[in-house]
Amino acid sequence: MNLVQQWSAKIEDYVIDLEWSPDGSLLAAAAGSGPIVLLADDGSGSRHEFPGHDAGTNCISFSPDGRLLASGGQDGAVKFWDVVAGQHSATAAAGPGWVEHIAWRPRNPSIAGSQPGGVLLAAAAGRKLVFIGPDGSVRHRFPDAPKTLSALAWEPSGGCLAAACFGAIRLWDADDYVPQKELPYANGIHALAWSADGRWLVSGNQDPSVHLWIPAEDIELQMSGYEGKVRHLSFDHTGRWLATSGGHDASIWDCSGAGPEGRAPAMLPHDSTVCAVAFQRRHGLLATASDDGVFVLWSPERQQPLRATVRMPAVPTCLSWSPDDRFLAIGSAKGGVYVLRCEP
Amino acid sequence: MTDAPIPVTVLTGFLGAGKTTLLNRILTEQHGRKLAVIENEFGEVGVDSQLVISGDEELFEMNNGCICCSVRGDLIRILGRLLKRKDKLGGILIETTGLANPAPVAQTFFTDDEMRAAFRLDAIVTVVDAKHVLRHLDSGDESVKQIAFADVILLNKTDLVSPAELDGLESRIHRINAVARIHRTKDCSLPLDQVLEVGGFNLSRATEIDPGFLELEYPFEWAGGYALPAGSHELVIGHFHHHGHDHNHEHGHDHHTHHHGNENELDLAVLPVGSFDEKETAGARDIAVKVFSDWERRVAEGESIDAGPTLNRLQLVEGNGRFRLNLEKAGRYLVFEQCSEVLLHIRVCGETARPGWQQDFHAAHEHNDAVTSVGIRQPGDLDGKRLNDWIGELLRTQGGDIYRMKGVLSVKGSDKRLVFQGVHMLFDAKFDRDWGSDPRVNTLVFIGKNLDRAKLTEAFKACLA
Repeated sequence: MNLVQQWSAKIEDYVIDLEWSPDGSLLAAAAGSGPIVLLADDGSGSRHEFPGHDAGTNCISFSPDGRLLASGGQDGAVKFWDVVAGQHSATAAAGPGWVEHIAWRPRNPSIAGSQPGGVLLAAAAGRKLVFIGPDGSVRHRFPDAPKTLSALAWEPSGGCLAAACFGAIRLWDADDYVPQKELPYANGIHALAWSADGRWLVSGNQDPSVHLWIPAEDIELQMSGYEGKVRHLSFDHTGRWLATSGGHDASIWDCSGAGPEGRAPAMLPHDSTVCAVAFQRRHGLLATASDDGVFVLWSPERQQPLRATVRMPAVPTCLSWSPDDRFLAIGSAKGGVYVLRCEP
Repeated sequence: MTDAPIPVTVLTGFLGAGKTTLLNRILTEQHGRKLAVIENEFGEVGVDSQLVISGDEELFEMNNGCICCSVRGDLIRILGRLLKRKDKLGGILIETTGLANPAPVAQTFFTDDEMRAAFRLDAIVTVVDAKHVLRHLDSGDESVKQIAFADVILLNKTDLVSPAELDGLESRIHRINAVARIHRTKDCSLPLDQVLEVGGFNLSRATEIDPGFLELEYPFEWAGGYALPAGSHELVIGHFHHHGHDHNHEHGHDHHTHHHGNENELDLAVLPVGSFDEKETAGARDIAVKVFSDWERRVAEGESIDAGPTLNRLQLVEGNGRFRLNLEKAGRYLVFEQCSEVLLHIRVCGETARPGWQQDFHAAHEHNDAVTSVGIRQPGDLDGKRLNDWIGELLRTQGGDIYRMKGVLSVKGSDKRLVFQGVHMLFDAKFDRDWGSDPRVNTLVFIGKNLDRAKLTEAFKACLA
């Protein structure tokens, strides 16, 4: 297996977030200082820049139809950028605190046409959670969370939103805005992930551990033994393999059947702290990166999982697989954006 | 790609003590470095050229809310975000409210792997309002903690109190935290290198301990040196008279008395000395230690005492009493007093005599609930395993009461100094440099509550190889 650099670009500051458009034609990269750059994936090197947020941009996300890019910033605002027209289209005030987490409600594949609640974006700013329409209108403001919201994740069918803060995860109904369930957890939570089938909900924690729930069956499991807090989680598309950071190894848990309890995780070693993990969207490769600039591809189901290793010139900050899984985009702390082609 | 950690300075102090003044001073005078300030939610920093972020002092309480296990969730979040920039920050200032316990802030930098790697806690700087601190010390736990945790203390607003009061305050602060560096300031004016990059948490520098503090315990808290004529003088205990100009020179008093034991008894000894130089006073001090362990002579109101190696137990009425001090010849005398909080005046022909020399001593009988410092200095090599077991057990059973702990230890089998540093139950230890020609002496300091000096010293000695 080979990784070949396809193209690269430079943005103004630390690449704080990176995402492909749903059709794979654009790569959006946000600089921690604010500007958001749209890069065309046609080798033309053409780019379009949005100003982003004055005080700094924290996160970006394409709408499911790919027409809008949403961004959350340190100014407490959620901004919407019209990707086709190349301009700002709307702003919503989410709270006085930083907007650190945004998440578009996924399209429910079982419902043809438009969803009843329509397209909406969940945004968390401090203890405030809001649902915002694509026109920037606030659909609903939820009661303040007891502590700062630290992660959001939509259940894959779009039926509910999991919102975490120190002490608990709440599952909010997407249409009625009522709490479906509260999953207590007496520690800080840094990341949330659902398995693609919606069976497992997992948190990466400060303590350091991962905690797994099957919300439908009121089952929960605790997997500890990590070196450091777990800030990154990624499920593979089958929902069987869960990759996590949390030290010098990426760990992979087998979540098939009754889950990982009693099974040893596969440990994928790095020489430095793992700072990103990302499974392909529809295939089985896992990309992991560590803060010494090393970036590795793995096939977790193989006896010898290591597939390829690349050393980057700067500390990697985030990874994003293209929708067709052929390209992997990597952002760096120095503002570099690298697109690698994955050749079997 | 590991960079040098970014220094973090924590500013504590009660509202109005001058934290904001100090912050603004730092921000305006530090032109060369890009600093980020994490303010508390009531912050009012007025410099907009720098990065100012509002924190909310959100606690992550581990293990059922035990404060020793808590960290600051907002700091993990905000500092984590501050790392996400191309150009590294030159330093971080964290301002806490007067009500905040500094422990979770320090613990954040001990326990969180990301914070530990990226940041270095440089010092806890506590700003104290000289005018109002006594009220705070008497009424609240938090201001005592802020002094106990400090590496640097600014005794601010010195223009609002008399030099005598400042001396008293400083000695009271010193009794709580014997290792912090104390600076007297007006408008928080002092060279910034006394506040930034001071290395309070730097293991090697943190243990530059004032040797005076490590002195033995004494059965008395104060000694004053007086030059007195021969004759029978009045010795006044407690009564506070306003006699014109000479009314306010009592030593180290904070105008409320914490008397130990029976408040209607006060032990006192008067010893002649040739001068107030160190050799003479130290000699008299050693004699006084013996005198204070001797049988006492009870002295009723109005009776006389003489200079010499006798322990006088003055009988007081509601904390007050008048006695005679008979001196056969003129000369210099040291008066050793059991409790420094009790006012003492010697009146010669109606005029109150001023002490030409005075010193506070660490008494053996501190209040149990008071926050104090206990220092141990002991030559010899330690057995690594016994030391480890002892520290482990001590922190497990008394970690909640031990706010700060610092030390340099000599461990058998190693040529290097073992330096360590702790907050509550967490501590860091590492070997730093060779002892070289320095004598291998163990030095360690505990700051906290319910510290039993004798027990700690004994347990420590049991760790010697």
